Amino acid sequence: MLVIKVSEFIKNVKRDLNDPQLRENFRGAMDYLMDKRQAAFTDVDEWATLKEQCKRIKQRCLLKLPHLLEQLEENLQRNGIEVHWAETTEQANEIIAKLIAKEHGKSVVKGKSMVSEEVALNDHLEQQGVECLETDMGEYIVQLAKEHPSHIIMPAIHQNKSQIGKLFVQHIDGFDYSSDVDTLIKAGRNVLRDKFCQADVGVTGVNFAVAETGTLCLVENEGNGRMCSTVPDLHIAITGIEKVIEKLDDVPPLLSLLTRSATGQAISTYFNMITHPRQPGEKDGPKAVHLVLLDNGRSQAFADEELRQTLQCIRCGACMNHCPVYTRIGGHAYGTVYPGPIGKIATPHMLGLEATNELPSASSLCGACEEVCPVGIPIPKLLLRLRKESVKPRADMPQTVKGQGGGRKPVEALIWQLWALVHKSPWLYRWSTKLLTRLSWLMPKNLGPWTTARTAPKPAAKTLHELIGENEKQGKRK
Amino acid sequence: MTNQSARNNILAKLKSQVAGADYDKLPKETGFEYPKLSREQQLEQFVGHLESNHAQVVKTSKAQIAEVVARELKSLGIDRLLYGKSGQYSEEIQALKGSVTLQEFDFVVESQAKQNLFDNTPAAITGAHSAIAATGTIVLWPTVEEPRTLSLVPPVHFVIVDAEQLYANFALLMNEQQWHNKMPTNVVLISGPSKTADIQQTLAYGAHGPEKLVVLLLVG
Ligand code: SF4
Repeated sequence: MLVIKVSEFIKNVKRDLNDPQLRENFRGAMDYLMDKRQAAFTDVDEWATLKEQCKRIKQRCLLKLPHLLEQLEENLQRNGIEVHWAETTEQANEIIAKLIAKEHGKSVVKGKSMVSEEVALNDHLEQQGVECLETDMGEYIVQLAKEHPSHIIMPAIHQNKSQIGKLFVQHIDGFDYSSDVDTLIKAGRNVLRDKFCQADVGVTGVNFAVAETGTLCLVENEGNGRMCSTVPDLHIAITGIEKVIEKLDDVPPLLSLLTRSATGQAISTYFNMITHPRQPGEKDGPKAVHLVLLDNGRSQAFADEELRQTLQCIRCGACMNHCPVYTRIGGHAYGTVYPGPIGKIATPHMLGLEATNELPSASSLCGACEEVCPVGIPIPKLLLRLRKESVKPRADMPQTVKGQGGGRKPVEALIWQLWALVHKSPWLYRWSTKLLTRLSWLMPKNLGPWTTARTAPKPAAKTLHELIGENEKQGKRK
Repeated sequence: MTNQSARNNILAKLKSQVAGADYDKLPKETGFEYPKLSREQQLEQFVGHLESNHAQVVKTSKAQIAEVVARELKSLGIDRLLYGKSGQYSEEIQALKGSVTLQEFDFVVESQAKQNLFDNTPAAITGAHSAIAATGTIVLWPTVEEPRTLSLVPPVHFVIVDAEQLYANFALLMNEQQWHNKMPTNVVLISGPSKTADIQQTLAYGAHGPEKLVVLLLVG
């Protein structure tokens, strides 16, 4: 999984805040997506009811998670779909590489899948000499530019059409520069059509895995997911263990909130439900279908009732669209596969808090994310919880989050210990505040992050206690 | 089965967390009651959604299928049509013989036939299993006669929808037809031509699937 060092997060933020083109691209895209979503939820009662319903559906499915996973596995196998389990990203990559090697696969077409980004599947397969081509238009653009997605729903929003036109001139034979969107899409379509036709393997993600019937559901608009799961002889789907739902009845409300929250659509252009590989007599469809179930830290989040709510996420992207921080710094500054609010609460479980301790702090806790989240994840509360975990003494048991204490600074910890001490004893409190006022000239001008945008505070000449005391004395004298 | 130890580890970790869970005490999941619509209103809703999603809807009758398709193909400048021989409406479609070249989907999608499907098939026609009013959605339940790629690969897709098969919403459709008892290899819900807004939020049609969706809605 791609991740930058924490020290680079601050650097990235500075870099991207100072890029006016990038900021314009994000601002435009976020305004567009917010408007779309708003237009899709005009009935406040309907929104509130559906949100509560979907939250409860996901919470029920999580409470039954291990049993649903077993049921899903059993039904998929009965349907002829093979199931594989991976605790880590390495295991997932290995499973997929082996499946491809067994069929002597040389070329893979990939539908949009954030979990495949999470395991960095492309890099792994390319090392094995397998060509791995992204086919979602946004992902294709990002792959050509040798970048990573900056948004989980719209991967290429950080680029505008003229930037993409230039990119196509460099990479598509015979393409004459154009910034006309139809022309650009047509050019992409032509390149990718050949690839669909020739690919040995299709890889996709999964939006919902239905335990009751053993069905894999895919939500998309372009048709590349259908191509990847229909045309090549081998289809491999990869998903996180939290994507399993109990029954078909759970699908309609979740689907409705997913597409409306993501892009404001009542439903996506395609909703694809896959239950078997090609059956005898059928003329198309993959001859074999596999599902890879990935843990990668999810069972850690699961182990804490509060943090478990992270797994309710249906990856709609609404929280990033409405996040003032995301809108300004863009998706790349985070340095993680999942950017924005959902990334801040999910990534620490995948990478540990040592590598990610800046993320929970990069929030104003304004609460916009929680308000729009279709499954009611209390994101600000979880951010505060992760902040706490990141400064907890490392040795504390139990270890709730991998890398706990990763953001603990000895000086800071000492200051808070002193603070607690001082506030427990009245005489010590009076004595030390008095000392502070007398020594105010010692206050340094530079107080780290506090003074990057503010002037340093200067203690008053006398403490409030002293002033009140004096006042009372004067009052008595009168 | 592969990865036994990963499987056991994951399941054991999860199970230890929910060992005492009481599944009888889960909170009620109340759904939203949508206002009931009349037949006409449902049809209007269905057509409205499809049209705003850039599909072309033609209200017609079973007897006029050939005529409508011939007219539309002509206006698109297309002279060939791929169809499934013993599909739901194959008789009506065969009436097109003479005005266009009808090509049967009688091949397995591999090697040369596959290449041909991608390169030399400008249009295809299928029936539909059912339809959903609330979202303007056509439900395809591909069969041996009308395979999955028939509605996916050719750039123009004609689909015949019987208005009698229109359901108010997705949940109702699955319940009334008891989908949980038996799911086919593939079901696909289609709500317009293929599209993308991946470049600067600008809508473009025909990303990877059909760029044109013509819906023949049988109302008479
Ligand atoms: S956290 Fe909520 S709003 Fe954010 S992507 Fe997940 S479901 Fe959507």
